[in-house]
Amino acid sequence: MIKNIFTLNALDISWVLLMIITSANAFVAETAEPSLAITAIICCSIAYKGRRIMDYFMELNHANETIQFFMRSYFHVFPALIFLSDLFSEELASLTTLS
Amino acid sequence: MTITATDFNLNGSGSVTKEPETLNKIPGNRAIWVGIFAELTEFALFFLVYFIAKAHYPEQFNQGPQQLNTLAGTLNTFALITSSYFVAKALASIRMDDPEQSIKWLWRAVICGCLYLVIKVWEYHWNVDQGIETNTNKFYTMYYYMTFNHLLHVGWASGSLLWAIHQLKVGRYTKQNHIGLTAIACYWHMVDLAWVIIFPLLYVLR
Repeated sequence: MIKNIFTLNALDISWVLLMIITSANAFVAETAEPSLAITAIICCSIAYKGRRIMDYFMELNHANETIQFFMRSYFHVFPALIFLSDLFSEELASLTTLS
Repeated sequence: MTITATDFNLNGSGSVTKEPETLNKIPGNRAIWVGIFAELTEFALFFLVYFIAKAHYPEQFNQGPQQLNTLAGTLNTFALITSSYFVAKALASIRMDDPEQSIKWLWRAVICGCLYLVIKVWEYHWNVDQGIETNTNKFYTMYYYMTFNHLLHVGWASGSLLWAIHQLKVGRYTKQNHIGLTAIACYWHMVDLAWVIIFPLLYVLR
């Protein structure tokens, strides 16, 4: 049942996908005007790249569940925080201003 | 080429299993994961400081990425992703009882690590030529703090790859026993993962 999960092809495909996404990010950096939509797309790309590296390079996709949980959470929480800190930047600034 | 389930040793510890070695197991050892989570917590603090600083100085954080060398940041990302790929290949090779091939993949990963360091030094020189220094503004202070800290991680993680090469050469990592190599690989991937967040924060998002 578990046969064929670990294929070298999965590594090759992951590398190609990661390079393509990185190139797309660089293209966005050079051309796109800042907007919430762009931030959302970049956040999704961070989450996807992180997941791909964790699952296929680090081989966490069937490793210890606690490690899986914390590592995957990291790459859900931080992309979400990037987006939220952009969306609520004024509120964040007022919350963190020392009176 | 396919590695079947019957090829696996229990987490590289010498005990043969019919399951993939990482199935429900801690990849490498507990110690490396304490280190990995400690490092990720450190980077998490940097990211939180970045969010707060960006909220307070939106203009500086909007202009900052435009002045940085995106090519250097992109090449660094390519170098790290490729090195992670090579390290994963090295682990696959030792599982197939091919230490020579594993050593070759690890040397390629070390070269990528060195390439990263060379690109970063070139980028810092380029920055100084553009008048971008640590105290230019809050964004660049954040940029230098995060990237230099990450650079240190790449440096000592490259050293751990050299150690793994040495262990393979003297026959201490084998198909049956390679927990150390798995642990080093996990640490290297963690360094790559940190950059996956740092790159868009500093070079892409405005």
